[in-house]
Amino acid sequence: MSATPPSAELRARVLAAASAEPVSPRGAGARRTTVVLVAGFMVPVAISLYLGWPSSGGRPFAYVATLAVAWLAVGLAATWGGVSRGQSMLGRSTAVRIVVATLTPAALLATSLVAALAWPQTLHDDATMGSHLVCVVFTLLCALGPLAAFAIVRRRSDPVAPRLTGAAIGAASGAWGALAIELHCGHASPTHIVLGHLLPVVMLTLVGVVIGDGVVAIRARSGSR
Amino acid sequence: MLAAADAPALHSGALMHVASRGLPRPRGRSVSVAPRAEADVAMERYAEGDDASFGLVYDALAPRLYGYLLRQTRDRARAEDILQQTMLNMHRARASFIPGAEVTPWAFAIARRLLVDSLRRNKREVLSDDGELDPGPDRGPMADEVAQARELATRVERVLAKLPQSQRAAFELIKNEGLSVAEAAQVLGTTVAAVKLRAHRAYEALRGALGDVLGTVEEGKP
Repeated sequence: MSATPPSAELRARVLAAASAEPVSPRGAGARRTTVVLVAGFMVPVAISLYLGWPSSGGRPFAYVATLAVAWLAVGLAATWGGVSRGQSMLGRSTAVRIVVATLTPAALLATSLVAALAWPQTLHDDATMGSHLVCVVFTLLCALGPLAAFAIVRRRSDPVAPRLTGAAIGAASGAWGALAIELHCGHASPTHIVLGHLLPVVMLTLVGVVIGDGVVAIRARSGSR
Repeated sequence: MLAAADAPALHSGALMHVASRGLPRPRGRSVSVAPRAEADVAMERYAEGDDASFGLVYDALAPRLYGYLLRQTRDRARAEDILQQTMLNMHRARASFIPGAEVTPWAFAIARRLLVDSLRRNKREVLSDDGELDPGPDRGPMADEVAQARELATRVERVLAKLPQSQRAAFELIKNEGLSVAEAAQVLGTTVAAVKLRAHRAYEALRGALGDVLGTVEEGKP
């Protein structure tokens, strides 16, 4: 459909530039991705170990277990929809990524409210602003590893909607951070869940927008016009 | 800048598609299907470790991408630069290429992203001649036809230029570049229904503005 084909000189230039910048084939890439993801998830594991064995902290064990399973499911779903690309090099559809970016905190909140209604004694506790802040900080710290790993895996991969992909990555990493801290936090009141556990997920979603623009987006290398 | 010989080709393809809407498009299909499959297979082999296959990926995709970029930039040097960047981005994604993934929409999406970035950096250079094409030298007996085609292409270009960017992009990817609606939706990051609607609106705008020309074209068809 082109009126004028590109010059043979351009072909030679492109192939020479590719040769000058060797890239490993897919097998090596898959191994690298695995290493990056394992390393990223070691961060929340290490922080969890630092905080000690998971504890219900006075909360009903069934409540903690139910919430952990529900948030694990949210984390897996967010990672599936927001980080993995499915069968397309362009990633999952825009709608899926919007759902991940916007509904991940909502899903965490909804499951926590359902759990709180099932165990009404968790609706009130003595959480203070200080305890909210501690959970915010540790949730962010726990999410840093998955966030970095997801950003590396999706680096320079999205030419269409990188900010949205970044937001989805941020939300997914936030879900993992929230899960890690939920296993240690002794507070269960909805106020604490929102301020201590879900606020950092929203913050990470916004940080993800910036990461998407700077890391996930495809850009021309310097030196080009 | 673009040579005169390229001028009628700019949007004459779009014009003919508008005129023949609803009719089979054997030419467009036969041109686009083979390279697409070829590119998929070549990229798959390249991702598996066959270094020589990158040349096949280039051969399968470069003419279409270059045509698209040339139509958008009207600048050979810039089109070549963006094409090179596109191919190198694909090369860098070798290790993460998904088995069975379609290469063509991915390549067009990369090219479009780099094109948009390039145009943003060079806003003042875009369509500095306000959409008018270089008239070029008189080409003898065919001069009238060339001039007529050039004028039609210019009119199409003007109508498209007045459309919202989303409608124009959808129309051009489908009608000019031969992408399927689903592929165009991937490139534009939207739904198939949205692309259909945008392309339809662009078509209606063209039909409204070029009704007289379309009548002439349709009368002249065998």
